[in-house]
Amino acid sequence: MDPVRHDEFDSQACGSIAPKVKACPRPKPGEAAGGCSFDGAQITLLPIMDAAHLVHGPVACAGNSWESRGTLSSGPSLSQYGFATDLTDSDIIFGGEKKLKDSIDYIAGRFAPPAIFVYSTCVTALTGEDLDSVCKEAAERLGLPVIPVNSPGFVGSKNLGNRLAGEALLQYVIGTGEPEPETVMGVNLIGEYNIAGEMWDIERLMGSAGIAVTSRITGDARYKEITWAHRAKVNMVVCSRALLGLAREMEGRYGIPFFEGSFYGAKETTYSLRQMAYLMNDREMERRVDRLTEREESRLSQELRPYRKLLKGKRAVLYTGGVKSWSVISALKELGVQVVGVGTNKSTQDDVRRIADRVGDDTEYIPEGGASRIIKTVRERKADIMIAGGRNMYVAMKEQIPFIDINQERHKAYAGYEGLLRLAKELAYSLGNPIWKLAASPAPWDKEAPPYDR
Amino acid sequence: MTVNRRKKPVSVNPLKIGQSLGAVLALQGCYRAMPLIHGAQGCSAFPKALLTRHFREPIALQTSALQEMDVIFDANRNLEEALNLVLSKHRPDIIGIIGTELTDVAGVDYQNMLKSYKRERNMRGGLAFTVVLPDFRGSLESGFSATVESMIDEMIQQAGHRGARSVNSRQITLLPGSFLTPADVMELKEMISSFGFEVIALPDISTSLSGHLLTGFSPLTRGGVPLDSMLQSLQSGLTIAVGGSMERPARRLHNALGTPYKVFEGAMGLKATDELLHFLHQISGEPVPLRYCWQRENLLDSMLDAHFQFAGMSVLAALEPDHLYSVSGWLEELGVEQKALLTSFETPLVAGMEREVWVGDLDDAEVLGKGADLWISNSHGIAGAKRVSAAFLAAGFPVWSELGAYMSVSVGYRGAMEWSNRAGNLIMQREAGSRESSVRHR
Repeated sequence: MDPVRHDEFDSQACGSIAPKVKACPRPKPGEAAGGCSFDGAQITLLPIMDAAHLVHGPVACAGNSWESRGTLSSGPSLSQYGFATDLTDSDIIFGGEKKLKDSIDYIAGRFAPPAIFVYSTCVTALTGEDLDSVCKEAAERLGLPVIPVNSPGFVGSKNLGNRLAGEALLQYVIGTGEPEPETVMGVNLIGEYNIAGEMWDIERLMGSAGIAVTSRITGDARYKEITWAHRAKVNMVVCSRALLGLAREMEGRYGIPFFEGSFYGAKETTYSLRQMAYLMNDREMERRVDRLTEREESRLSQELRPYRKLLKGKRAVLYTGGVKSWSVISALKELGVQVVGVGTNKSTQDDVRRIADRVGDDTEYIPEGGASRIIKTVRERKADIMIAGGRNMYVAMKEQIPFIDINQERHKAYAGYEGLLRLAKELAYSLGNPIWKLAASPAPWDKEAPPYDR
Repeated sequence: MTVNRRKKPVSVNPLKIGQSLGAVLALQGCYRAMPLIHGAQGCSAFPKALLTRHFREPIALQTSALQEMDVIFDANRNLEEALNLVLSKHRPDIIGIIGTELTDVAGVDYQNMLKSYKRERNMRGGLAFTVVLPDFRGSLESGFSATVESMIDEMIQQAGHRGARSVNSRQITLLPGSFLTPADVMELKEMISSFGFEVIALPDISTSLSGHLLTGFSPLTRGGVPLDSMLQSLQSGLTIAVGGSMERPARRLHNALGTPYKVFEGAMGLKATDELLHFLHQISGEPVPLRYCWQRENLLDSMLDAHFQFAGMSVLAALEPDHLYSVSGWLEELGVEQKALLTSFETPLVAGMEREVWVGDLDDAEVLGKGADLWISNSHGIAGAKRVSAAFLAAGFPVWSELGAYMSVSVGYRGAMEWSNRAGNLIMQREAGSRESSVRHR
């Protein structure tokens, strides 16, 4: 069966060696990897830290997923609570809507959150529960935004879940509030989830250039700041093409210009800051950005010098999803690391084009195939290090391949100038660790040796 | 005594873990196995990530990757596709098809599908079975034991034994419960074999999830009990089950083959270990090895040393049912107050406990355990323990906050000693912390 949804992106031709990516490929049973749409929706919305996130379904959907992401909070922690309606057999038979209503009431009464997000799951979608009307009724009764997120796992990929979460924000949140009078309007950061605190590094940078963040969608966000996102002057889509639709819609609805950018690597960071200032149409700000980026880049190149020496000519295989597949390539290139293999399984046609722009001709594309395919590429291409998500970390360990975690469960922030330095340190540490030699050396009794002479 | 529940419409900070995850865990203990979750992608992606995080090992797992239309029209077509692919590409010895709530609600009949699939493909030599594990019922523990049960049924069926069989009286089948770590299973195997028995653990995570250095990636499980040993276990003279939940699989062997069985509900603490060793001593006629006599004294001595620390202390434990029973028995011996005991679902074992047990979540733990000095639960409890300012001891599943948690021993005298020291140290550190802050505030 063909995918239910067709991708919104045009499939334009790209470099001859780059593979064609099917818009929304159907996962291959028996060879599928990665999360579902429900997972994707949570990735986008959970970083709204002060909101409650209620999962309507059997317990495992929430139970197996809460507290698993590296998104950090500077204050409220309600979003780290795992809320589940925990449906039982009889709830399925008689309907879970009453339980859902009671759960919403309970959370509202006890935790008084600024909003409650309610996620549907495969089971509640299948039994046809009317999430929208339960949420609507509860919202009116409680005088509190109760937002239905219709992204059950079986509708598709994680990416689609991101997009559906973005649609929920557009429909129910953005434009429902007004900023406080003293708020300075600036840029919305879309698709930056504050993994390992990356958002904080970015905000600090923007602050030094005098660029205000209007709404964070959604890293370390507070609910109310998203309600006034429509007042921002610029939208930046950071590392999540799935939310491009959100930016497009906001441009149409509110006339906010947007651009896509990344903070991985000094060049991309500089470009992103410049783009912000340019779209803000503020001459003074542009000058400030120029001064800042110049200063930061020269300081960075000083600090990077010893690491560049160590990393020069090293070969890496990169296996990650979406935008990171191309933005991290830029960062690695700046450090002198050559990307000899890159995963394209979760990339869009645009992503692949950008990968092709950034890598050489001899880079291998890994369209699918999971761990064994990645390992094969590492071996064949004589890579020194593997850069991928946590799921593949221990696969690499078993093969004694140095590894860096780049996905959402990680604990290191790699964004901005500081982040690039951190990435360099991490690469150097990983490659130079004594464990690789130790693990490769056999026990003394396993070596051929002359008998012990007493 | 009684099992209580707090009235609350919603689960807040769940303690319960989906049954299917227990099934995946059980299959990791079998060599060249592939668990196949019949459900949406997330139904396997989440458990895979969680198990990887806990054991710090690659986890073998695949999915039928159901999408909306597949569920509506024909979910089994995906399953067939997945089976075809897994069989042709990886040739596993064991396939466990794990049904989820999604296939349950949609009413997918994959049991019959597998039967006809096996007939058509003439699948000889391998072991393929189904197990129905929606998340509406039970938790990790029940998923684990139900999977072992299904596996045993399939083994019996395949071996074709009914009644007559050759019995090896020096061979024991060990059925270790889901709460035991790889190091625990190893310890139990050592204990039993030290009395001169051959032990076949079913499943055996001690050789698959304990950390190995085998290179050459395979999407199947590495380590664990191989299929021929599994089938050989049908000749065992005795079954030893550890954990109340493993009684049912033991009974299956008994009913089909007449293998006698002995259930040890727990294996933690002095009395539980005494019982186990005494039993092994009796059935083997061998003396208890000297090292256990030493360990027994070590344990008693460390408990003497630690009893000052535990005086007047209270503990909260939130664990899977069998685990809770075990830990509660050990706490009893330490003489601490058991402020609250929580578990994920009701089983006959916890219902029969002398202490009050609550079925609930980690939010209930915060309410019931207010004022406890020590909090014992999986890593999800860290935040709650902090809020009620209790010292935190990670146990159960998942534990991601500590290195080597999967290698910690809780069974035997050695395990009890390790836990007593760990718990005592945590309480000591907490006291030192509060003394320090009181000095600073003055």
